[in-house]
Parts: sequence; C-alpha cells; structure tokens
Amino acid sequence: MYDVGLKPVMLRSLIRQYLPAENHPLNLNNSCFELPSLVSILQTHCLLSELDSQSIDPKLINTWKSAVDDWLSCLLSLLSSDMSDKCWVGICLLGVTCQECSNQRFLSSYSVWLNKLLSHIQPPADSQLVKIASYTSLADLLTRLARFPEVKKDGNLLAGKLVQPVLKLLNEDNVEAVWEGAANLLYALIAFFPASIHHYYDKVEAAIASKILSGKYRSKTLKKLGYCLALLPKAKGDKDSWSLMMQKILISINDHLNEAFQGVEEEAKSDEARRLLVPPGKDLPLPLGGASFKGTSSERLPTAIMSTLMFCCCKMLTSSYPVQVTVPVRSMLALVERLLRVDGSLPHTMLPFMTSVQQELICSELPVLHAYSLELLIAIIKGMRRQLLPHSAYIVRVVTRYFKRCSLPELRIKLYSIIRMLLVSMGVGIAIYLAPDVIENASNDLNSLGGEDTETSPANTGPATGALPQLGNRKRKHDAKTGSLEEKQDAPSPKGESNTHQMTPITVKIAALDTLEVLLTVGAASKSESWRSSIDSLLMKTAINSCKRGWGNLESNIFLPHESASVWADFQFSSLRALLTSFLAPARVRPAYLSQGLELFRRGKQEAGMKLAQFCAYALFALEVLIHPRALPLDDFYSACHKSTDGASNRFLENIYSGSQKQNTLFLSSMRRTEQGGVESHDDDLYDRWLQNENENQNKKENENIPVEDMKDRTSRPNDSSFTNVLEVREQEPAAANADVHIRTENEIVVQPWHLEESVPKSQEVASAKALMSPAVGTNPGGSEIESKTPLSASDRLNDTNHDMFSFVDKVDGFDNVAGKTSSTFPNAEKGSSSMVHLDSDSSMDSFPGIVDADPDTDSDSD
Amino acid sequence: MNAVIASSSIDGGIGCWDLQTGAEQLRYKTCASPPHGLTSVGCRFLACSQLRDPSATSGHLLYWSWSKPQAQVKSFPAEPIKPLIANSDGTYIVGGGSSGDIYIWEVATGRLLKKWHAHYRAITCLVFSEDDSLLISGSEDGCVRVWSLFMIFDDVRRQQVSHLYEYSFTEHTLRVTDIVIGYGGGNAIILSASEDRTCKVWSLSKGRLLRNVVFPSIIDAIAIDPGEHVFYAGSRDGKIYIAALNAESSPSDNYGLHIIGSLTDQSKPVTCLAYSAEGNLLLSGSEDGMIRVWDVKTQNITRMFRHSKGPVNNIVIVRLPYPLGRAESKSQPSSRKHELSLPPPLEKYANSTDEDMDNKAIVMLPDTIDLPSYLSSQLINDHIKQLQQQGSSAVAEMEVKRLKADCQRSVDMFQQLRKVYDNLQEFCVNELLDEQTMEGSKGN
Repeated sequence: MYDVGLKPVMLRSLIRQYLPAENHPLNLNNSCFELPSLVSILQTHCLLSELDSQSIDPKLINTWKSAVDDWLSCLLSLLSSDMSDKCWVGICLLGVTCQECSNQRFLSSYSVWLNKLLSHIQPPADSQLVKIASYTSLADLLTRLARFPEVKKDGNLLAGKLVQPVLKLLNEDNVEAVWEGAANLLYALIAFFPASIHHYYDKVEAAIASKILSGKYRSKTLKKLGYCLALLPKAKGDKDSWSLMMQKILISINDHLNEAFQGVEEEAKSDEARRLLVPPGKDLPLPLGGASFKGTSSERLPTAIMSTLMFCCCKMLTSSYPVQVTVPVRSMLALVERLLRVDGSLPHTMLPFMTSVQQELICSELPVLHAYSLELLIAIIKGMRRQLLPHSAYIVRVVTRYFKRCSLPELRIKLYSIIRMLLVSMGVGIAIYLAPDVIENASNDLNSLGGEDTETSPANTGPATGALPQLGNRKRKHDAKTGSLEEKQDAPSPKGESNTHQMTPITVKIAALDTLEVLLTVGAASKSESWRSSIDSLLMKTAINSCKRGWGNLESNIFLPHESASVWADFQFSSLRALLTSFLAPARVRPAYLSQGLELFRRGKQEAGMKLAQFCAYALFALEVLIHPRALPLDDFYSACHKSTDGASNRFLENIYSGSQKQNTLFLSSMRRTEQGGVESHDDDLYDRWLQNENENQNKKENENIPVEDMKDRTSRPNDSSFTNVLEVREQEPAAANADVHIRTENEIVVQPWHLEESVPKSQEVASAKALMSPAVGTNPGGSEIESKTPLSASDRLNDTNHDMFSFVDKVDGFDNVAGKTSSTFPNAEKGSSSMVHLDSDSSMDSFPGIVDADPDTDSDSD
Repeated sequence: MNAVIASSSIDGGIGCWDLQTGAEQLRYKTCASPPHGLTSVGCRFLACSQLRDPSATSGHLLYWSWSKPQAQVKSFPAEPIKPLIANSDGTYIVGGGSSGDIYIWEVATGRLLKKWHAHYRAITCLVFSEDDSLLISGSEDGCVRVWSLFMIFDDVRRQQVSHLYEYSFTEHTLRVTDIVIGYGGGNAIILSASEDRTCKVWSLSKGRLLRNVVFPSIIDAIAIDPGEHVFYAGSRDGKIYIAALNAESSPSDNYGLHIIGSLTDQSKPVTCLAYSAEGNLLLSGSEDGMIRVWDVKTQNITRMFRHSKGPVNNIVIVRLPYPLGRAESKSQPSSRKHELSLPPPLEKYANSTDEDMDNKAIVMLPDTIDLPSYLSSQLINDHIKQLQQQGSSAVAEMEVKRLKADCQRSVDMFQQLRKVYDNLQEFCVNELLDEQTMEGSKGN
C-alpha cells in the first residue's frame, strides 16, 4: 500500500478499467457510476502527484511520468470526443487532475487545458452537464493557478478570456443548473484574478443582480451568485466601490422591505430607514445592477431576494478587503432592528387594510427573514470588532428587546451566539450591563421542561433543527380566509410566548449553558453579587439533571441523521463545562456546591465516554487549585473591608445599593475625613493627637452599638479564628464555637438576620438595616447577595470587634484599626499606635486559618 | 522586533532602540511630552501629547509615522492634554485634559466621539484594561476611577445613573503619579502610585483597597511583573523598590512592610518604568536622561540607552511586525501604502454637523483566508447521483443523445438487413422464376 513502485501500475490499471476507450461506446450505467470511486482512489494514493519524498529512483520517476502522460492523453482524447457523455467524463477528470497533479506538470500544461476547456463553454452549445462540468473544471484550474504568484500576470490574461463567455451565459442561458457552474467559475475569477474582471465590472454586476432580483431560483444558486456580488468590489479594490455596492444593496433590501411590510409596520419606519441610507441632499445611486428590475409576483414575498441580499451584506462584511472601507453601520443596524421589530401582528391603525392572507404570508416568511437579520448582526459584530463600541448600546437594546419575544429555537440559538460574541469582544465593560438579561433568559430556558422528557430518545430533538420550515405550517393553521381579522390578530404572539415555557429543545439549552459559561468567564468578577448564587445553583441543578440517567453516547448512531445523534452528550458536556466555570470563576464565597460537583466529575471520569471523561479529568485537575490555593492572598484588608467603618467597602456598597445605606452616610463622611487626615499627616504628631481624640469620640458611638455582654461572649471563644471566609465566620458566631467550615446553604442565609437581631439587639444601625432588608430575605429563598449584603455589613461589625479581641483585648476600638491600616506609619500615639505596626501583619495572618489559632491573650501580650 | 521608544519633558525628540540588539533607530524630532503622554497607536504610528510648559494653557498632539523623523500630523485639542493612550488595536485615542475632562477620539476619522468630566483636577494617567473595555484614570486630586466604555457610549443609560464611573477610589491623598493594571480581566488588580509616598493595590472585582505599601520616598513610576509576584516602584530617591504582591515578605524588611528589595545604580530620580515580558527585562528612565535595562533575575543592568540631557519621562515598548528603517521603505513601497499614510488630525470639538459620519465607521475589514476549495470531485458525485436517479433534465438530455445515437445505429442496421433481405429475395425470386420457366418448358 505504501510502496511507491506500485503507484504507476495502479494508475495504468485504473486507466484500463475505468476510462472508456475512444471507439468504444460508453455504457452510462456501469463505468460512469464508478467514477467517484476512481476519484477517491486517485486522491487517497496521490496517484497523479508524481512526487515521493522517499524515493528518487529515476527509473520509477520515468515510469510514473509516462503513466501520467498516458492518463492525460486519454483524458484529452475523451475531451475531444463528440459524444457528450465521454466528453463529460474527460472534463470532470481534468478538473480533478488540476487539483492533484504535480506543480511542474500543472505549470507546463495549464494553458493547453484551459483552451481545451474553453472550447466547451463556447457555442455551439454542448449538453448542460458538459457545460457545468467545464465551468467547474475551469474554476478548479484557476484556483490552482492562483497559488503560483509567478504566473499571476499570465493568469490574469487567461482569466480575462473567460469573463465574456461567463457573462454571455449568465445573460442568455435559462437553465439554473448551468448558472451554478458559471457562478463557480465567476467566484474563482473574482476571488483569485480580480484584475481580469475590472473592465467588465458593471456588466458583471448587472448580470448577477438581474439573476438575484428575479428571485425565482434555488437558494443555493442565489447564495453563490450573492457571494460573487459581495466579492465583486475587490475587482476595483478601492474604497468607494465597496461603499457604493453596500449602499446599493441596502437600498434594494429596503425597497423590497417597504413593499413587503406594507401594513404590518408604521409608515414612518420606512422613511427613517431611507433617510439613514441616503442622507438628505445626497444623490441616490443607481439601483443595483444598473437598471431597475421589476420582479416578483405579488402573491409571494420577495423573501428569497431579501435573504440573498442580506447574505451578500454578511459576506461583504466578513471578507477581507485591501483598503479601509466606510461601513454604514447605523443603517445596517436600523435594517436589523426594523426586521426584528415586525412580528406579524398588526398595528391597530392598519387593521382594515390587511387581509388575513397577507398576514399569513408574512408570518410564514418572517422566521427566515429574522434568521438572516440575526446573521447580518453577527457579521456586523465580526466585521466591526472594536469599532462597534459607539453602537454597542444600541445593539444591546435591539438584542435584549428581541430576546424577550423570540421563541423559535433556531433564532434563540442565534441570539445566544450573538450575546456570546458581544461578551467576548467587548469584555468586562459590557458584561456588567448585559448580565441581567442573559441571566433572565438563560434561567427561563434552563428551568423549563423539555430536556428531561426527551432525554431517552434524542431523536425527539430533531424538530429543533427543522423548526424554520415547520413554523410556516403551524401558522397556517390560522387559515381562515374569510374570517375577520379582529379575532386573529393577537394569535401569533401569545402562542410564541407560551411556547418558551412549555418546552425548550435541548439545543437551546446547550446554547443557554454556553452563554452562561461565557458570562461567568468574562463577567463573574464584576458586580455579580446579585445573580451569582442563583446561577451557581441553577448550573448545579442542570448538571445533576443532565447526568442523572447515565452518560450520553458520543458516537453518532448510524441509524439517525448526524446532528441529532450526540445532542444529549453535547448537553452533558456543556452543562459540565458551565459547572466547572461556575466553580472557577472568581467569587467572594467558596463555591457552595463544590462537593456535589466534585462527585459528579469523579463519576464522569470513571463512567462516561471518552470526551466527557477527559473533560471530567481536566475539571478535577483544575479544581485542585481551588481546594489547595497556592498563591498567597494579596488582601491585607480582608476583615477590614467588611467593616461598615471601612471607607472603600462602604462607598462601594453605596455605589451599588444607594439608598439602602443612607443611615451610614453621616457616619461615613466623618470616617472619610479621618482616613485621609491620617495619611496626610505622616510627620504631624499634633494632627495625630487630634485624630486620636476624634477617634475617641467615635469610639463611644461604636461602643454604644455593641453590647458588652456580646464582647465577653466572644472573648471566651478561642478557636473562632478561621477567617478564610466572612460568611463562615458569620455562621460560626451564632452557632457552636468550635464549628468547622460550613458549606453555606440558602437556609442559613435566610436565618442569619434573625440571629443577628438576637445577638445585637441594641444596635440601631443593624436594626434599621434589617428593617429594610429582612422582609426581602425572608421571602426570597434564593438568598441572593444583594439582600444579604446589609445584614452582612452589620454582622461584620461583630466580626470586627471579634477581630479586635485578638489584637488588643484592653481596647475595643474599631476605628483605630481602620485609621491605622490605611496609614500604618502612624508614629506613636497613646493607645492605638501600640498595635499599629502589628495590625498589618495581624490582619494578613488572619487569612491563614492555622496561624491565628493562638490565644488572644498572647497576641495582645506581644504588642 | 521589540522597539523601545522614549521621550522627555524637554525637547530631545523621541528616541527609538531595538531592545534585542541595542541599536538606535530613527530619532523622531521635536517632542516635549508630559508623563504618560507617549503612545503607539496599534503599532501603526506614534502619537504624543505636547506640553512645553506644565502650566501652559494650550498644547497639541503630534503623530509620527515609523519611517519619517518629522512629525506629520498636528492636532489642537480644546485644552492641554497630558496623558494619552490608545487601545490595543489602535482604533481609539483617549486623552486626559488638564481640566479633568477625558476625551475619546476615533483614530480613523479623527472625530471626537465623547468627552466627559471625569475628575475635579487634571488627569495624570490613563490605562486600558486587558480587554480594552474599561478605562482607568488617575488624577491630581488623588482619585482613581474606573470607567466602562460601554457605559460612556450608552446615551440612554447615562441618564439613568447618578454617576458614570464603575468605581471611584479615593484613598490616595495626593496626586496620582502612575497606574498599572494586572492580569485577569474583571478580577484583575490595579496598582496606583501617588505623591503621598504610597502605592496601593486595588481589586477590580471587589472595588476596594487590597494592600497599601508605604515607601521611603515618592514613587513616580510602577511596573508589574507579569506573574504578579512582585511589582517595581521607581522612586524619587533613585532606587527602584521591589514590593511584594504574591511574594512572601517578612515584617523585618529594611525599607518597610512588603518591600522586599531594591535595584540601585543611580542617584537621580527614576521617572518611568516599563516591563518587557519577552526577555524579563525591566526598563527604567531617569532624570539624568539615561534608560537602563535591568535583568530582573540577576538584578543587573544589561544595557543602557542614552536619550538626552533632560529627564526621560516616557518609555514604551512596542512590538513591531517588521523592522524599522530604510530597508522597509524600499522593499514594500506599494503594499504598505495604507499603513504609511496617517489618519487625519483629531478634532477639537465634537462635531455634530456631519451627522452622516456618525452613522458610519471607517473599518479595516478582518483578514480572512479563503482556503482553495476544489469542486470537481464533488461535481462528479452530484452528477452521478443525478444520472442514477435519471431525474433531471440535464441527464435526460444526455440520455436522449445517447438514444439518438442508438437509434441511428439501429436504423443503419435495419437498412443493412433490409438490403440483405432484398438481395436474398431477389435471388429467391429469380431462382423460382428460373425453375418455373424450366418446368414450363418441360410441360410444353
């Protein structure tokens, strides 16, 4: 099999076996059907390459060369046969040869081949198949030719010969299949030899545009032509032709939309879109293709035309272009918004003018249009990258508004992918603001039924992929041509909404999980308190559900179509990945479900199929760092930050939850003064003394807040020192003194404030904070972070005093601590200064559970 | 190549050296920059704010293309701009004004996109976060603020909130002199140095102070080790202090808590620092006009560049995709044309008259590589399928041709057979006739 010597022999036997002899009539039913296997043998064994790295035996090279010579002469004789079927075989195989043969051979004979093929696309017309085959083979020849920069000039010259026949064919021939072949060649011409098109630019544009705008062909053909149109500006390669083409296309889409959406949207919309496209005072460019084409019959919507043109826009935005271009972002976004806004329901003013037939028609075509407008949005994001920033807010509004209404699985998946793109490309800055909407939608999708019911038969998820065509049928159920519209006009939207909650296909759930994963990676660190815990629990729940009935089979079932086979395994994979991310993403508290998660990964590693097991092993590996943290914690102010007296944390809280913290402001402002004063007065003893006095005043205030019994309670507890986590500390305080590290559960959070109330009955602030917050906490078992925040700061006051017990028992002074920490260079002042230097080391040691285990008394002794 | 570019507060031009070889490249002329005023815009060209005199009431901005020593584009902003920074792909330039306003320009068009009042006093330094989505500004009023660019550009949301910033850190009491941001996206740390002799470490995720390091002298420049083990603080007493981030430090350090060592060579104050991750090199600029390159492992100076007599106040390390100098301009004159031509000057005011431009953006479309795809073998499969189904008209056409040929052949054969038959018949008839005549003659 690897013996090079065999290759020429194999080639010769292939020639004998498969290629029809000249005079022998071809039997279509036999030898012709074997062509694919011939091609696959050629490609697998590289029979035409004439190249082998191992052997340089000249004899072998010669035999191989002569075998390929024979092969080619055989092909060429087939090519010149007057039997069209033989000819077809020859042309197709020549195309394959262009791809497979050695560089030398290609360079020496491409012009001969090109002329041979050229004769077949020129009149007198041959059979269709021969025409298509010769266009395709020519396209392959040009594709190969483009890889040799040294023959670029010659290539351009030869390519120039091809343009006119192609144009002629596009304009004159009526058979769609032939255009497809012509589109192949045109693509190769524009993509690789743009200079050859230059002279025919307008004609090519007109030819393609007329085909697209006639709109009556298969979407595959139209897409190919659309792609050619999108690449066409490359032929000129300057800034203006790109912008002009884009403008023409957008205007054309807009005109079609005006016609299609008559009656389902306000008139003002179309005027506005027009104004954006053609600024007042500027000339309207010539319509696409030079002259206006009056196309389609009125009973069909020009969906095919619009979607092809939008596809064209997408391709223009995502293909490279030699110079910088001016992109009309705003009008493209307006187009997207306009399309997404129309949902088939009628504005009330329009009622009398629409028939139900028209409405039906629009509803049946809308999903396709929406899908394409989302594609366009994706292309805009891809093409504009960072420069989208000024428009990002607008996009976010369009997307989130549409998200609320969109219920088709296909479209939701696209929306999720748009959100992922936005998150990745715009980073933390956007994540803060996009998070609430993502959370809401993803939670809805993940909480809804659906996955669980279908899990045993993945085939049930099939409809998810085929949803678009189905919708049309579904909407047609409202068919009542004579019925009055008033009864029906509301029908589409409520149906859509309820659909979201009834059953979400697994594919949508996968998209939701992936999006949550990205949100966690990008935005978990910033202002995520409000949603973090609920998302963590949702992801845990989803992962457990996805894995509870065993592991999905990744090998695709050969009885099922390819996509649906492994969808359940994909779901598991996504849910596990999202779970791992939720563990690893930065958070203020320990991951609450770590133990369950570890168990899940452990099981997955042992039981699941290859891909999942590999991932589970990786997850266990990655989580090891979480369990044994390696880096030393940088945070010197760990406990200080949670004191209500700490400026930074308070202002931070104030930023987020302004209003709920009003009671602290007076207190705070005085504190701020103290801190700043403290730092400014490095060398100023007087100032320090004065500061000390002020602190004393505040101490009194503080002491009022904290009951003395409470203090004593706390001093009697020696082991209460594992400050790794504030929440843990909070739990320990009301609970038994020697309690170990708890995993925080939601119940405990809810209970927390009441404990606090018991333990700090006299604290005005805590009480008032609770008055604000505890009802919310009580009613919301989700126990999200916002609600626990105020009680937290209150409890930290306890924590604070607790901490003081360690450093100096004789002095209960939260304020000195803070002042001391922000400016640890305090020179000697009476009380607080004695421990100043110590404080820093002390508080940094708080982070290691092991070290601060010492008796509080020894700590204060060492001062 | 990695180029080191440096500028000074008095006119010494912009010096440019190859970091690997140490060879000096072009010197770009006429530049007197304030600290943090020099930036490379997406590695395409250099931009620098110009301030002859710290108290001047007007200043300007200059652009240099890499290949020419003379400044080519001059812009006049509404007020003197001190710090200047571009995002990583060079689409936006952000400048901090002496009134406390921050300006964002679009590089390609020069349009002033946004301007907002960020601080009470002059902005001293600006830094982009790793993903370019957050902007961190430091000011003379001691305040460090974090802005989300998304928020800045969202006109609707702006009106709903009480303040634009994400965080405002006010613990510094004097002028902020330098800010750097660490690794980790939203969970990164921000380091700020101030004239109050402290460097403070802030948490971007928690929005609060993590660590406060007090130095013996004022710190004017900081650089962070990419692994965030330590950070380097260039001080006015001429030392570069090494302070611990994640490194262990004992309380008995000589210089103070968390300061674990220093690099010294000089007595003149250190004015700017830059860290080259590629070679683990620390670059320091000093008031004596020298740029020292330190190997941080051995703590030795490996190289020195002489910039000018005056103090160096900006060092930027730029990774250039191609070597600078004469060779480049000769070899690829045409292909780089669009890179060499500089964008228009920055606008002074937000220009609302050209509304059309608001709706557009000048963009370099992303490079895509179209792998050559060959279609012939696929075409064969398609056509064979059609042939097998015998469905399509194209196939039918071909079949018709074949049948026609068959038909012709059959007709030919028929003719031939007919001829044979005719001959045979004639022969037989003749035979019969002959026989009859013979019998007839017998009967007669």
